[in-house]
Amino acid sequence: MGAAETAAVLGAVLLLAGAIAPLVGLPGGIGLCLQAGGIGLAGAVGVAVLCGAAPIGSGFHGDLTPALGVDGLSGFFLTTIAIVALPALAYGREYLRGAPRERLLVALGGLFLLSLGGVVTARDPTTFLAAWELMTLAPAAAILARRTDSEARHVVFVYLAVTHLGGTGVWICVLTLAHYGALANPGAMAEGGVAAQTVVIVGALVGFGTKAGLMPLHAWLPRAHPVAPSHFSALMSGVMVKVAIYGLVRVLFEWAGPVPLWVGLTLLAVGLLSALGGVIFALVQRDLKRLLAFSSIENVGIVALGLGAALVFLWEGDRTWAAFAFAAALLHVLSHAVFKGLLFLVAGSIERTVGSLHLDRLGGLLGRMPWTGGAFLVGAAAIAGVPPLNGFASEWLTLQALVHAAFGPSLGTGLAAAVAAAGLAATAALALFCFVKAAGLVLLGAPRGPRAAEATDPGPAMRLAPFFLAACCVGLAAVPGLLLPALVKLAPGAPAIGAHPSLELPGTGSLPSPWLLLGIVVLSAVAWRVRGERRAAPVPAWACGQEEEAALQWTSAGFTKPLVLVLQAVLRPRREVEVTRHGGLVASVSYRGEVPHRFDTHVYRPLRSSALAAAALVRRIQSGSVRAYAGYLLALVLAMLVLLRVGAIG
Amino acid sequence: MTAVAALIQVLGGLALAPLLPGLVQSLKARLQGRRGPSPLQPYRDLRRLWGKSGADPQPTTLVYRLAPCVVAAATALALLLVPIAGRAPDWSLGNDALVLVGLFALGRFALAAASWDTGSGFALMGSSRDLTFAVFGEPLLLLALLVAAFPAASTDLVAMSVAAGGSAPWGEPAHWCGAAAFALVVLVETGRQPIDNPDTHLELTMIHEGPLLEYAGRDLALLEWSGAARHWIVLVLAAELFGPHWGGFWAQLGWLALGLVALCTALAATETAQAKMRILRVPGLLAGGCAIALVGLASALVGGLV
Repeated sequence: MGAAETAAVLGAVLLLAGAIAPLVGLPGGIGLCLQAGGIGLAGAVGVAVLCGAAPIGSGFHGDLTPALGVDGLSGFFLTTIAIVALPALAYGREYLRGAPRERLLVALGGLFLLSLGGVVTARDPTTFLAAWELMTLAPAAAILARRTDSEARHVVFVYLAVTHLGGTGVWICVLTLAHYGALANPGAMAEGGVAAQTVVIVGALVGFGTKAGLMPLHAWLPRAHPVAPSHFSALMSGVMVKVAIYGLVRVLFEWAGPVPLWVGLTLLAVGLLSALGGVIFALVQRDLKRLLAFSSIENVGIVALGLGAALVFLWEGDRTWAAFAFAAALLHVLSHAVFKGLLFLVAGSIERTVGSLHLDRLGGLLGRMPWTGGAFLVGAAAIAGVPPLNGFASEWLTLQALVHAAFGPSLGTGLAAAVAAAGLAATAALALFCFVKAAGLVLLGAPRGPRAAEATDPGPAMRLAPFFLAACCVGLAAVPGLLLPALVKLAPGAPAIGAHPSLELPGTGSLPSPWLLLGIVVLSAVAWRVRGERRAAPVPAWACGQEEEAALQWTSAGFTKPLVLVLQAVLRPRREVEVTRHGGLVASVSYRGEVPHRFDTHVYRPLRSSALAAAALVRRIQSGSVRAYAGYLLALVLAMLVLLRVGAIG
Repeated sequence: MTAVAALIQVLGGLALAPLLPGLVQSLKARLQGRRGPSPLQPYRDLRRLWGKSGADPQPTTLVYRLAPCVVAAATALALLLVPIAGRAPDWSLGNDALVLVGLFALGRFALAAASWDTGSGFALMGSSRDLTFAVFGEPLLLLALLVAAFPAASTDLVAMSVAAGGSAPWGEPAHWCGAAAFALVVLVETGRQPIDNPDTHLELTMIHEGPLLEYAGRDLALLEWSGAARHWIVLVLAAELFGPHWGGFWAQLGWLALGLVALCTALAATETAQAKMRILRVPGLLAGGCAIALVGLASALVGGLV
């Protein structure tokens, strides 16, 4: 066994030990340390394999014997898991201290990490499906371990119902692939015929798409992510949805063989819907964690756009740009994991100190919580996709892929890609809108509540974990080009490209990210210097001569109002204003406004009610009376006899 | 000659940019039968602002102080991306069209964050409208650039500018569609009527001016210069990508100067003829621009197939 194999085995053992330790009575801290060691080792193995070390462990096979292994793609996802999990575990050490059921939560965290690692390293169908199911169940248990009120129970029910209904797609897909032997031999699916291939692809799109939170299969995501403990939310949003992307990539780019054009176009359409829909609903949320959850849908949509563009390029035979589009999707996976992990951790710290995540009750936290607030500001700028941070690098690459897909040669795919590119541009503008709003309401201005005014930074672990991720954002932003060759190599039939710190691709003006970062910092410093510090006496902001008071402060709803009005026909916002008068004088005015989640009311509610109606219909024949069942049996036997007699069967 | 292009990039952006809004204002006044300010008025404004002290609204943080510097830095970097007469020196910043879109977004982010920092209602009103327009303006900008990038099959602005030279592009319907879409981009990015009224002194109607309300002195000078430099970037791009230009470097430089004057005149004429639109109707206009650009792209794709 080589060093990499030893490290991988040791990592898995440490993770397992970390999950078991709290259950046998050891303190939670020891469990978390063991888990951190385990996931750190696994991540190191992932980095090594991604950077060109030989794949370790077994290859894929369709038998029942359990097998594990790490190749380049698994290595990339292991790295992503480790980058988010390490700070999340450090954060959890402080976040969970003294919490009810601390040890159980630590154990469940270990189980969750084990299952995430299991999915990306499984090399046979049984291990894959077992890890997949465990990955769904562990967060559900964690939510219930923390909260047992009826709202949390309902959320867990919806989460499990939607992901399991969708998850059947994964089972169908993986078992069909195993049946045709396509796991070991990627060419086998092409011999299986179009029907089998379609079953596999549709199964993968529905199954992995549900878990990734692609619209319209996303109903569980904005419910489940906010109620989980924050370090769990960071892992769910940052990593779990990405592991679903891993499954999608494996099936569509390896196992299903060369896929037809409709798959790429479907991914483009679904990606566009998720990106735009996710960010628009994120924009109108008032709860920070719910906003972040919707924004995860948006980012998964962007990843899907990259993958869709890659499939379109493969169909057109342009392997170079297919590889770039594929790398764009993976780069966005990593980018999003980093900044979404960061934002969820910060949300946990804010909730801990302010007691609420209602956007209109926060404010002024940048000065009061400089560490947490500073990290939030970096994360918000990164997720808003402004240069020179990492969100821009991966969105630029995705946008370039779509723009080059729009150059043709075919009219249909060209126009589809152009529409997707325009949609992605709109998504970027909406994300900027959304995260400027979030950063403004949370960090800037005067505090909007008494507890926000007294907020303070949490302890060192909860400060440093987001800070580490913010540093990752800047690091990834500076040299995305060093990672690019490794990602491009993972695409099927990819060209070899050299490693530059910048993103230099043919047919573009290149994204010289290190120079851009340096340029902005240096020029801002120069501007700061020449401007000098001469200032008049402090004054309040201009409010037409009135005193600036709390009631005049802008709210989340006010800031997004112009956009909501423009999109009124789609969003159908609800607004109620009640004015109470006493003797001609206005005594009080009450206002209620919300933007309903129309997927729930227009897609899921009809589905649910028709399912219930169907169940009621079936229940009518399930009377519970023995005589009725004896009657059914008799009727069945008679019917079969009749059919036998007329020769229909037998 | 590349050195001359570099000189014009830097000096033109820094020094000539304020002339463009000045020219528009002066021409507009003439068209409206007023004597109006001299085209040099923006320089006088900048000098006056440079000598005054900045404001210190309370409660603000570093974000408010930093925003003018970041906006100026992003604009200055954007200046270096735009080629002059089909040439661009190698600043190691590349010349990518989509990076330019990103740098504009950075400026918007910084200003909107500063608006939240002051908490001023007028600033936030302005930036919320600005961001709403950007939701439609950014796809429009992208599609117009996409149409311009099609002949070159590259988003490198130098290659795009070269591919748009000569008389051949004028036979393509795509070029005309792209030009129409880019005309709307010019209106949005420079904040001109019918989309925004740069002359308004009524806070409730401000869009681009709103977030600047809380600034004074050198902060405001940096922001005003950035606004002028945006005029420069967008108008130079319009002239380079969609304006007529051919011949050698010096001839193209002449075409660029002509193009800039023509575009300023066109802006002045539009501002004279058109009143400001209702805010909620602007997105429809911009979406129409997107449709035009898509039609252009479709015609280019069909032309490429034949």
